[in-house]
Amino acid sequence: MSFFREFFGGRRERSAETAKKRLMMVLVDDRYKLTPELIEQMKVELAEVLSRYLPHVDADQIEVSLLHEDDNDRLHAQIPLKRGQQGDV
Amino acid sequence: MARAITITSGKGGVGKTTTTANLGTALAMRGARVAVIDADIGLRNLDVVMGLENRIVYDIVDVVEGRCRLRQALIKDKRLPELCLLPAAQTRDKDAVSPDQMIDLLAQLRSDFDFVLIDSPAGIEGGFRNAIAGADEVVIVTTPEVSAVRDADRIVGLVEAAEKGTPRLIVNRIKPRLVSRGEMLSVEDVLELLAIDLLGIVPDDETIVTSTNRGEAAVYDQTSLAGRAFLNIGRRLNGETVPFLDLTDQPGVLDRFLGMFGRRRS
Repeated sequence: MSFFREFFGGRRERSAETAKKRLMMVLVDDRYKLTPELIEQMKVELAEVLSRYLPHVDADQIEVSLLHEDDNDRLHAQIPLKRGQQGDV
Repeated sequence: MARAITITSGKGGVGKTTTTANLGTALAMRGARVAVIDADIGLRNLDVVMGLENRIVYDIVDVVEGRCRLRQALIKDKRLPELCLLPAAQTRDKDAVSPDQMIDLLAQLRSDFDFVLIDSPAGIEGGFRNAIAGADEVVIVTTPEVSAVRDADRIVGLVEAAEKGTPRLIVNRIKPRLVSRGEMLSVEDVLELLAIDLLGIVPDDETIVTSTNRGEAAVYDQTSLAGRAFLNIGRRLNGETVPFLDLTDQPGVLDRFLGMFGRRRS
């Protein structure tokens, strides 16, 4: 969608912002050999393991990102949970 | 006992040699005894940047292979008697010196100097490994460009793996006007990406071309903003607390800064 916004009248993102986003992706890949495909695979496997303990864990809903806090790289996963209905496990 | 500090970058052409020459000069101007070593064997350059190319008799490979004593190969700076250069060999390749020989060489220099600055070759191969082998600290030079920052990140990993501690960063060739327009990575962006401590910020400055043409360090040039930045970095290496230059491109800031040195922007 952002493509269309950019294309039709919207202002193009400034190049420094683009450079920073691209570098973030590249550096994660360089440091951890973690490609976008591997991240997708990791989500599927995370959902598999978590589904043994929790109802309704959907790989498509998991968001995995790499953060940098307190001088440490940190893998951050957001896993939305749905409350199971009675008797629905 | 000297502190041995390696200046490196990964990517070529980001200003390692200019940085080494200026920091060596800045430290010597403040009274420190400084040796600068050109570790870029086969691509000798620190001598021309310092204007000492006509004085070379022996080089680092001559010392390592025993053709001369270390003291004979050290070239005194033109202006500062406390500043010496150990030139690289121009006709040999990077394997002419081993990491152990580099460590030996530094051990000999340490007692006679306060600082030994080692100008590393670009890349992550043997020449780079030699340059960091005997270092107590490592300084990484980068420019605010994707390729240079990416290579700098690789170097951070390699320096930490070699147990040299976390290197400190110099961001070179910042163009404040481009940064304020959002068309160049800011120093803050680069620091956030690389997650290492900042040692200095050097603005892009045409006076560097002039001073390099003449073989004189920019730190001598009172009108050079880059020279001023290098002086500040030298003082920080010497343990002083010096605020970072404010390069924010607000009207008046640069004018006021240059005004301090008796120069006006045309």
